[in-house]
Amino acid sequence: MIRIRGLVKTFGAFRALDGLDLEVTAGEVHGFLGPNGAGKSTTLRVLLGLLRKDAGEVLLFGGDPWREAAELHRQLSYVPGDVSLWPNLSGGETVDLLIRMRHGDPTTARRDELIERFALDPTKKTRAYSKGNRQKVALVAAFATDPDLLLLDEPTSGLDPLMEQVFNDCVAEHTARGATVLLSSHILSEVERLADRVTIIREGRTVESGTLESLRHLHRSKVVATVSGAVPELAGTPGVHDVAVDGSRVTCTVDPDALPTVLAALTTAGVVALTSTLPSLEELFLDAYRQPAQAGR
Amino acid sequence: MTNALVGTALLTRLALRRDRVVAAVSIAALVLLCFASAAATSGLYPDEGARVHAAEAINGSPAIVALYGPILDVRSEGELAMTKMTVLYAVFLAALFVVLVRRHTRVEEESGRTELVGGGAVGRSAPLAAATVEAVLLATVLGLLTAIANTAAGLDVAGSLAFGAVWAGTGLVAAGVAAVAAQVSASARTCGAFAAATIAVFFMLRAVGDTGPGWVSWCSPLGWNTQARAYADPRWWVLALYPVLTAGLVGVAALLRSRRDLGSGLLAARPGPARGSPRLADAMTLALQVHGTAIALWTLAVAVLGVVFGMIAPGVGDLLDSGVAKDLIDKLGGLLVAAVLSMNAVVISYFAVSVVARASSDEASGRTELVLATSTSRSRWLAATILVALVGAGWLMLVTGVGLEIGYVATSGPDIGDLVTAALAWVPAVWVVAGLALLGFSLRPGWTVVGWGLPLAFLVFTLVVELLELPSWLGDLSPYSHVPQVPAESWDWGAEAGLLAVAAALLGVAWWRFTERDIG
Repeated sequence: MIRIRGLVKTFGAFRALDGLDLEVTAGEVHGFLGPNGAGKSTTLRVLLGLLRKDAGEVLLFGGDPWREAAELHRQLSYVPGDVSLWPNLSGGETVDLLIRMRHGDPTTARRDELIERFALDPTKKTRAYSKGNRQKVALVAAFATDPDLLLLDEPTSGLDPLMEQVFNDCVAEHTARGATVLLSSHILSEVERLADRVTIIREGRTVESGTLESLRHLHRSKVVATVSGAVPELAGTPGVHDVAVDGSRVTCTVDPDALPTVLAALTTAGVVALTSTLPSLEELFLDAYRQPAQAGR
Repeated sequence: MTNALVGTALLTRLALRRDRVVAAVSIAALVLLCFASAAATSGLYPDEGARVHAAEAINGSPAIVALYGPILDVRSEGELAMTKMTVLYAVFLAALFVVLVRRHTRVEEESGRTELVGGGAVGRSAPLAAATVEAVLLATVLGLLTAIANTAAGLDVAGSLAFGAVWAGTGLVAAGVAAVAAQVSASARTCGAFAAATIAVFFMLRAVGDTGPGWVSWCSPLGWNTQARAYADPRWWVLALYPVLTAGLVGVAALLRSRRDLGSGLLAARPGPARGSPRLADAMTLALQVHGTAIALWTLAVAVLGVVFGMIAPGVGDLLDSGVAKDLIDKLGGLLVAAVLSMNAVVISYFAVSVVARASSDEASGRTELVLATSTSRSRWLAATILVALVGAGWLMLVTGVGLEIGYVATSGPDIGDLVTAALAWVPAVWVVAGLALLGFSLRPGWTVVGWGLPLAFLVFTLVVELLELPSWLGDLSPYSHVPQVPAESWDWGAEAGLLAVAAALLGVAWWRFTERDIG
């Protein structure tokens, strides 16, 4: 679906993208994570042929998005992060216009159903819409047809939790029929809920990429244990970090490789209670940004 | 009340900072125009006899009076020198102040920036107050510079001060009109149209009053410009009318502002259709929808203008017959019809520029991105903009010509040739200006703003070159100078073809550049 290798995009002296890699395979929901200014939107704009790449390889449906933009766009729907609409058109008119511009048919039942589900008033002029409602217009237009690919740039940033649920349902419906979704976001819980694989970028470079599972494998579990005997001397053990002892309670973070060693030591000491938590995406995220890009892996 | 004004000083500084180029260049152009007109007069009319002769000829032609206003003292050198400046060019000055005030009030509100500012320690009325303060400052500077320039060009000091005050007053009133207009509609475009229409009504009222019942002129602030008699024993009390009217208008604007919500207009927004028309399906129909109201309003305005001037124009035929008048007309820069058409061409160029500017704001706000992410190609999107700008401008010139013809025939004026053809002669020049604006936009979206300065800059440039007798090739840099002044001159295929070629080349480069550059 999407294949980006070593993408570089500069704006004057500023390198917005600096060797970015991104691979999205057919049928998956791919989370595209990064903080503000990491280059997520720039990547999507290159992918849409709005910006010209300076170096690297960019393939969309196997084609060149710069040369064949209009043809390739027939198969995709795009929802920008900051939706700006024509102030004197109504919401319903805008939805239909956007669908027709993708050669879709807006007279379907799905379009009406989506307007209902997103609780959108289609007769209001878009001038009067809030950010969330403008976003809904773009989302309804995107979900009303059956594109092969949905490019969603922070699509829920203006939605309330109820509408977020509707959004999640819509994404699920589209993936169920085989659509591919690239979901750019900095809202981690959303990505965690929806995405099969994630790519984390920072300062225009890919820091991590893989399934949520495989990323977690790269990371330390947090282990909290209470022991009946003497607290074992864990500090200094390879792969064990941040050891803290509070009476009979010991807390540490453990690399996956060192987990058997730690468990053995705790068992010897007579473990009474033990919790081991996988890092949440939040922690992965913070981890990826705390370190320089090169040391991220 | 004071609470609502917190932050005015800060916003005024911000406004001046944002306008530093536009305001400086426009004011410089207007002052230069006055200086050139004043300096040229003594050369054109060396003695009082020649001046009286010229002034009486002007007063004798209702058509010219309708355009410029009468000369109330035929012996005054200053009154004659400022013939065009007093009313006609004051309209451009008014346009400048409308643009500036609208920019800091309704445009800011529509874009949501006022909300951003309003969240800070800034009062509700502060944006309006800041725009007003800025207008007062700029009007004062403009008035003083005009007075200095006219004095330097050899006109008397008291008259020049009065004239400077008249111009400053015109700017103030225009600012007041824009301030009220900004409260009326939620749309910045409608506000612009409302303000422009008000200025146009002012102009028409005094045209009627100057050629008919005199009291009507007093109903229009532009009529006061003439009645102040700046260079002929000035009526100083007339100068007090401007600030009084401005204060009233700003007061009304402040009252309206305090009674409405941020982002809304006086009229509640009407609901639109729940479904889009099947015709609204691509970039072209979208562009027509977006510009439809503007095109309709422009069409109405130029049609009325055309018919009114067509009805006033029959005086022209008489002028053509007399040798003296012919001489005068040459000195004034062409026949009345040609003069009306040239002014209209400049004004209609602004329509074309506004279409290009809209494309630029579409791009800046992300609407272009939304369209280009569909299966609309860049070429189609640009083609829609170009077509609306060029065909729209051509249509408006055509309507002007037809309006002139209708008005002219209705009052059974003598045959002076085909006025529709005369109007169409200006179309290629307008297209060149549109092409330049489009080229700026295609090279860099931020350069679109240059387009707003082009029509007036070319006009001022041509006049200054003419009046100061600078080398003629300098004047030829303006596309407007190449247009055959039909019906005063004969049609010139060479010039028209040349202009068309230049326009085509500009569009070609703009097209190529737009398909190659980054969007957004």
